[in-house]
Amino acid sequence: MCYSVPVIYLDHNATTPIDPRVRARIIEVLEDPRLQGNPSSVHAWGQRARAVVERARRSVARALGAEPLEVTFTSGGTEADNLALMGAARSLRARGEACGILTSPLEHPAVLAAAKALAAEGGAVAFVAVDPRGRITPEAVTEALRERPEIGLVSLAAANHELGNAYDIPALVAAARAVRPEILFHTDAVQAVGKIAVDFRAWDVDLLSLSGHKLYGPKGVGALLHRRHLRLEPLLRGGHQERGRRPGTEGTPQIAGLGLAVDLAVAELELRSAHVRGLQRRLRRGLEQIAGLRLYGDPEVSTGNTVSVGVPECEGQLVLINLDLAGIMVSTGSACTAGTLEPSPAILALGCSEEEGRSVLRVSLGKDSQEADVDALLAALPGAIARVRAEA
Amino acid sequence: MKGETKPMRVVCAMSGGVDSSVAAALLLDQGHEVIGMTMRLYDAPDEARGRAAAQAGRGGSCCSPAEIDRAKDVCAALGIPHYTVDERRRFAAAVIDDFAREYAGGRTPNPCVRCNEHVKFGPLLARARALGAQALATGHYARTDGGILRRGVDPSKDQSYFLFAMGEEALANVMMPLGTWSKDRVRERARELGLVNADAPDSQELCFVAGGSHADVVERRAAALGLDLDPLAPGTIVDRGGEVLGEHGGIHRVTVGQRRGLRIAGNAPRYVLRVLPESRQVVVGDADELAVAAIEIGDLRRLAPLPEGGELRAEVQIRHRSPATPASVRIVGDVALARFAAPVRAVAPGQAAVIYVGEQVVAGGWIAASEEAPA
Repeated sequence: MCYSVPVIYLDHNATTPIDPRVRARIIEVLEDPRLQGNPSSVHAWGQRARAVVERARRSVARALGAEPLEVTFTSGGTEADNLALMGAARSLRARGEACGILTSPLEHPAVLAAAKALAAEGGAVAFVAVDPRGRITPEAVTEALRERPEIGLVSLAAANHELGNAYDIPALVAAARAVRPEILFHTDAVQAVGKIAVDFRAWDVDLLSLSGHKLYGPKGVGALLHRRHLRLEPLLRGGHQERGRRPGTEGTPQIAGLGLAVDLAVAELELRSAHVRGLQRRLRRGLEQIAGLRLYGDPEVSTGNTVSVGVPECEGQLVLINLDLAGIMVSTGSACTAGTLEPSPAILALGCSEEEGRSVLRVSLGKDSQEADVDALLAALPGAIARVRAEA
Repeated sequence: MKGETKPMRVVCAMSGGVDSSVAAALLLDQGHEVIGMTMRLYDAPDEARGRAAAQAGRGGSCCSPAEIDRAKDVCAALGIPHYTVDERRRFAAAVIDDFAREYAGGRTPNPCVRCNEHVKFGPLLARARALGAQALATGHYARTDGGILRRGVDPSKDQSYFLFAMGEEALANVMMPLGTWSKDRVRERARELGLVNADAPDSQELCFVAGGSHADVVERRAAALGLDLDPLAPGTIVDRGGEVLGEHGGIHRVTVGQRRGLRIAGNAPRYVLRVLPESRQVVVGDADELAVAAIEIGDLRRLAPLPEGGELRAEVQIRHRSPATPASVRIVGDVALARFAAPVRAVAPGQAAVIYVGEQVVAGGWIAASEEAPA
């Protein structure tokens, strides 16, 4: 960019800057000649590379309350979600069991598109009701599953990417199992790990997705946690890697980075969480001082880092650009949909109009965000809104 | 706009083509803070084809998804920010729907003029201001300095004809840095800058029908709009005496002055003289019969002060890429009557007629009626 302005990054739900410790670990793996082998190879270099991958697997498992055998590395959150839904549903279908999906309209496109693809294969897809704040209750899950024996898998995110709502996954799992004990439960925890406590075993879920770059790790790597004996039809065909669930030579440096990033995220959870919650309070208070803004989501139960704010009768995209030109980076919704210029799907799912969906900005704080960043945003926002409103 | 050179924030409308890319580069050279912006105007009829064309080095059409990517590439290479804004709804309503209505009414629309009036210079200028920009810039070959609109200096590229409806307010706030440039020089500069689209061919077709047929677009939109579809049905081709000479596939497939593609008997070349939507008749005749002595220009837009009621000695251009013809123009309210010094041929109702005094565009409107030249 040709303009020289201070850079304030407030789009951590899109991606996070890599933690210097994680970066150092990746570089260490990249630079060590003995770690350049193929983890599947029998020889010494293969064994060393394998050790790096397995160490990362243990880290992820331990940090999230799973067994190492329950961790499959993927190319990221999208693949983890796709493998969870498509892999589990196709496997259920192959065994003649119920393979329909129950999900919510607030899910990430990776989940919604996978469900849609399964529907195209003839599978049933149902949606749980959400309230105007984007909350999902156990009763809604019970209601949605009653008299729907075709549902074999429930997929509900542990935290919403646009609203920042956190969900009581153990309660939702319990509600689902009370109706159908054998039902499978997947949670997309891409926006949850590192923001709220995540425990695969204690939550009693069958499948859980996470992504490296949302927790200060590298891009291009993620993981799917799955119960040890759960059958998953692989998405890719090839070698025996990841016990056949995910063929393809393991990306040793990224996997090493993911392992450390998850370790750090869980070890520093309380610190990070307290920090962003303080900033979020400051931000919400400041936004409440600016007349005419609308706050979305459920502040009671949230990841503590996300504020979804509507600027009525304003094109959110233009406010975003104004802020960007002032060196402040936010989003108009999921980065996965921002490029398409469509209104925020999550906001539409709350029952809002398309125009309202286009008016929403998402501010997502990170562990390294500062009070000064929040203050700069609060200082810049009224001017940006005024400029956009003047020309509306 | 006035001949300002003081550095300021400028939004440059980028289509993805070489012209607007070089325009952005020139503004940067002049010291301005440049922001690239591309409007998403329509869902491409066939995005895959557009992409394939772009990858093969041929340009997609203006503002297609492939061209938006190209505008992003160019801005990244120039080191300036780039944003895309969604104008699909406005473009559909102001340009594509009008296109269908005009053809269904037996007229020949000019969607580029409509786009400039309703999409490019109104909303985009508002957006530029909403971003704190002092000016909007485009890659048009026309001159806006001094607050007047003049022809671009490259006669083969001059686009002033399409710009008469931009409005005086836009004119005062829009920069067209290519107005004094030739296309060859633009391409040369693009090559020097290493721009990916330096040698992309000029787009000739309408962006929203790219690769498809305009008749299909008219039929689809007319049906979607719930218009009376009767005028789009096949009809007869007749001579001036009413004798039936053949059939046509719909009046929207025919334009005044057209000769090719008419399936009629006889050796003498026949030209479309008139299109009659009510009876779906297309009247044909000899080349001589196309001659028009005077036209009425409706919905007149002014870009300069004009004498009300008096006679103005001017030149009137009734098509892109055809010379302006000297005419005596009388203006009454939002109508202008232009009497040509010598007859002009093939005057299509609905087309833009632009009034020039020398190089300057003083007004323009749409051809509402014409008076045949005496034989």
